[in-house]
Amino acid sequence: MTQTTYQPGEIKGLIEIEASKCKGCDACLKFCPTHAIEGASGAVHTIDQEKCLGCGQCLINCPFSAIKETHSALETVINKLADKDTKVVGIIAPAVRVAIGEEFGLGKGELVTGKLYGAMHQAGFKIFDCNFAADLTIMEEGSEFIHRLHANVKNEPNAGALPQFTSCCPGWVRYLETDHPELLPHLSTAKSPQQIAGTVAKTYGAKVYDTKPDKLFTVAVMPCTSKKIEASRPEFNSAWQYHQQQGQDVPSYQDVDAVLTTREMSQLLKHLEIDLANTQPFDGDSLFSQYSGAGTIFGTTGGVMEAAIRTAHKVITDEEIAQLDFTAVRGLEGVKEASVTLFDKALDQEVTIKVAVVHDMGHNIEPIINDIIAGTSPYHFIEVMNCAGGCVNGAGQPIDTSGSGWIGNLG
Amino acid sequence: MMDKKPLFEEDKFFLSRRKFMAIGAAFVATLALPVAWFSNKLARRNDYIKARSAGLYQDDMIAKQRVSHANSAVEKYYAEFGGEPLGHKSHDLLHTHFVDRTKLKS
Ligand code: SF4
Ligand code: SF4
Ligand code: SF4
Repeated sequence: MTQTTYQPGEIKGLIEIEASKCKGCDACLKFCPTHAIEGASGAVHTIDQEKCLGCGQCLINCPFSAIKETHSALETVINKLADKDTKVVGIIAPAVRVAIGEEFGLGKGELVTGKLYGAMHQAGFKIFDCNFAADLTIMEEGSEFIHRLHANVKNEPNAGALPQFTSCCPGWVRYLETDHPELLPHLSTAKSPQQIAGTVAKTYGAKVYDTKPDKLFTVAVMPCTSKKIEASRPEFNSAWQYHQQQGQDVPSYQDVDAVLTTREMSQLLKHLEIDLANTQPFDGDSLFSQYSGAGTIFGTTGGVMEAAIRTAHKVITDEEIAQLDFTAVRGLEGVKEASVTLFDKALDQEVTIKVAVVHDMGHNIEPIINDIIAGTSPYHFIEVMNCAGGCVNGAGQPIDTSGSGWIGNLG
Repeated sequence: MMDKKPLFEEDKFFLSRRKFMAIGAAFVATLALPVAWFSNKLARRNDYIKARSAGLYQDDMIAKQRVSHANSAVEKYYAEFGGEPLGHKSHDLLHTHFVDRTKLKS
């Protein structure tokens, strides 16, 4: 029995340094949130997989393209799309729609929701927008927050821990599970949008699609490498468990069967000779493509908090928030703070909610964590994203190589 | 050559890098990347973050509904299947638990 930070079945060693290509330049060290990369300057570097979060920030920032992913579901997905007995559901994360166009010659950050739906529809996917699942995440996570807040104000025994942390980012979740397990009660128990989408697709979705759940194959298209590890967590087979309780008896399947990065989806489309840039826009084929603006901003730092505040305002005061744009949590400052004072109808008193938004986790999270451990944290609700800027800059996104063409020349 | 005014910001770096390369590949391995590499990398990264985030804020602005609780598909999900937020079915399907990874063995 040896110590490990992986549960049985989880993908381990997703991100790897190729010894033959590594120049020992140390660039990756500056982007790694957990100091998982070892090796003397000038010597080949390696990743300590026990500490690694699979976030891939080292991969997208290595100037010598020496870091690779060891796991790709591309071939499996292509085969499933060709299989007439299987309905393939494509779950599209928010940040993908403002990046995949770059792979097809469109502008930096161009919003291509309709074209992406169209291209994936042509490839044979059912369209399930992860933004719809993000809206469900807000309903659950926001309700959970208000529940914790009320219980704490009323001094109830077993009131949930505050501040509450968001739990949508698997890099952040794995970090807390590995480095600060004593703070796990602070994490919202709401699943991430990816996992909610997979579960809903195979439960409620089985009715909507009029298909047996084990004939549905869910493919999450993510700006993220760490999402591959998340999907492999053994507890994420809740649709199977649900159907098991309903009397179905088939071998276990995961809620999310495969994860493709934005880059891999563009490879798939190119393989199928679908030019996203010239695809007719498509609206979707079920209620799963219906999403709110709050769901879509999940893809950028501050977005989850902004979405949560919009809904919490309504639930707490019974009125819609007057100013939807909550600009205090937008932008690239490492830690953003804000507070909102609301009249809480249920409590019949004013409450002031203090929130913080953290991205580029490796550089910004420790002071926040230390305050919580010391019992001096001023906050009630904290959003944390591993990647700088949030998921728009995840390691599954197109890589900008325009500035580093020269570097390949180096021996 | 170094005195020539660079056409692009990147050129400055490119030239210094060329000079740097001339030192020889064996040396490259033992030298740290120049500071300019990092500032350039971060500036480019932030440009992408800003452009893509602007795309998402645009998507938010054009959305028919801008708050999660007004999404009628969400309402339909709870009415036809899910019950209510934090309800029994939500607990089973939409919530999870976390793992103390300092205690795992293989
Ligand atoms: S950035 Fe790339 S080349 Fe440089 S040390 Fe890390 S893996 Fe090696
Ligand atoms: S994937 Fe992330 S956590 Fe793992 S070594 Fe790279 S930067 Fe560090
Ligand atoms: S911030 Fe987004 S892209 Fe980065 S690790 Fe977290 S979920 Fe993945």
